Amino acid sequence: MRTSMTTLFAAFCCTMMMVAGCAKQEMVKQESPPIETAVVVPPQPKPTPPPVKEEPAPPPVIKEKITTTEEISTLNEDPAASKQFQTIYFGFDAITLSETARDTLAKNAVALKKNKGLKVQIQGHCDERGSDAYNLALGEKRAKSAYDYLVTLGAPANQLYVISYGKERPADTGHDEAAWAKNRRDDFVVLK
Amino acid sequence: MLVALLVACIATSQAEDSYLAVTASGSGQLACSIATPVRLEGGENAEVAREIADALSFDLTLSGLFQVAAGDPERGGIRQGDFSFAPWKMAGAKLLVKSGFSVTAPDRLTVELRLYDVLQEKLLASKRFTGSSKEARKMAHAFSDEILRIMTGEAGPFTGKIAFVSKRSGNKEIYLMDYDGRNVQQLTKNRSINLNPDFFPNGRELIYTTYKNRNPDLYRREITTGAEAKVSAQRGLNVTAAVAPSGDRIALAMSKDGHSQLYLITPQGKQLARLTNSPALEVSPAWSPDGKRIAFVSDRLGRPQIFVMDADGTNVRRLTTSGSYNVEPRWAPKGGRIAYCRQMGGGFQIFVMNSDGGESSQLTSEGSNEHPRWSPDGRFITFSSKRGWKEGLYVMRADGTGQTKVSRSGGSDTHPVWSP
Repeated sequence: MRTSMTTLFAAFCCTMMMVAGCAKQEMVKQESPPIETAVVVPPQPKPTPPPVKEEPAPPPVIKEKITTTEEISTLNEDPAASKQFQTIYFGFDAITLSETARDTLAKNAVALKKNKGLKVQIQGHCDERGSDAYNLALGEKRAKSAYDYLVTLGAPANQLYVISYGKERPADTGHDEAAWAKNRRDDFVVLK
Repeated sequence: MLVALLVACIATSQAEDSYLAVTASGSGQLACSIATPVRLEGGENAEVAREIADALSFDLTLSGLFQVAAGDPERGGIRQGDFSFAPWKMAGAKLLVKSGFSVTAPDRLTVELRLYDVLQEKLLASKRFTGSSKEARKMAHAFSDEILRIMTGEAGPFTGKIAFVSKRSGNKEIYLMDYDGRNVQQLTKNRSINLNPDFFPNGRELIYTTYKNRNPDLYRREITTGAEAKVSAQRGLNVTAAVAPSGDRIALAMSKDGHSQLYLITPQGKQLARLTNSPALEVSPAWSPDGKRIAFVSDRLGRPQIFVMDADGTNVRRLTTSGSYNVEPRWAPKGGRIAYCRQMGGGFQIFVMNSDGGESSQLTSEGSNEHPRWSPDGRFITFSSKRGWKEGLYVMRADGTGQTKVSRSGGSDTHPVWSP
């Protein structure tokens, strides 16, 4: 096998030398000096027609009645007001709500019903072990689990927003079981 | 006649797919000497000389085709007749790269590069570039591309750039650099989280997901002007978007209908099709080079695995059958291979398999390695690596050899994408 590979390579090198010969002969046909001139770049990027329109972007044409998130895009997180809501935690790779999580969500539902008009974002998070792409989907599912349960408890759906941060915003930046357990969570964040 | 023969030679060499594979074993590398760049006109410029030699050496070494040597057995000129081949022959060189530069104005650089066959004493290629003195490396990269074209029939990818995500500013922003880690340029400055850049085939625009509006939305950005347009801002995920090879469609994961599923949209955001309709979580679509199929990640069988479907969502088949967690498929631009990541021992390793799922082999083993992306010629893979907790961007040959760190920041860099 090795011998045949070597032979193959040797044969190929010969081909290369032929190419070399060809290339050179062709070059020699040109007047000397045989320099192919290629001008590299004007200083920076080539001037290109700007195909991207400046704002506003063409509105996406969507048939479904899903609203975009523009209504909350300019709001800020309010850490103080968020303290009335408690974080819930998930098992490894899990999206199901534990009994403890359901108890916590019942309290969060009460707080939501007391604060009509409060905009609350349910932020789903994952630990660092999965791939970041898959964790975006998993974090979304975790936030959705809480959203669905809160709505069944009578919390006003129009006050709730769901977002996944995947593993982008860990609560604990450690790399052990204790840190991971703290990071598999839903935070409830008031937007103002 | 000569022209016809030349074409025939190149056609033969293009058909020789095994060339890279044979030389990558290390036994068949051609000895290539890089002569110290010499001053032709104008003033001396040690930095220009150093950058030219360094870039040539970096590219040719990475290619795996050459045993690169520096050091000059003679210091003649760069044109045939202005130097002697004999000392190079004595030194064992089979190929010789000679180069000269002229800094004729404060910011006016001309570089002339020549590739010689030492044994035949023949000129194989010559190029002259003119530009600013900051572009010495770029000119050398362009000649490296040409050297690979002469030797294999296909140009190298060394003038390409790498877009990536970096947290060096404290937030995850999108950056651009030369493939060898030089000339880093920050593109986004919105101080939120920015993810998953992907180039349009023209190389002038890219798409990425940003949280700047409190939702992971897909944006499109023209690189040189910074002009931006919102592409997809459906409530929920608009993530892991991949531009089709034709540039007229984008596959991405959205959760607007309940949970993460795959969709096809236009570059303006108009929905063309829902590709998957399953109760599972699905992300990371990856186009085949002909645009006819899409590999993707789905947990429909429990844990995330890689599947493939036709680009209209039909004919779904599972590709990965070993390993409990396989993600991040990326189709090679040619040759029918798919790079992907497998979770192993607390981290990830990069594997490659045939596009039918067969002949899987492991490419990385040190540290944890993710986000593989092919160079446009399919010779190399760039990826992000954590080795000793520090993240960095690497490049390697398609067979896993020659792993070389290219990013220079201490900050965590991820998601490299090689420009078309």
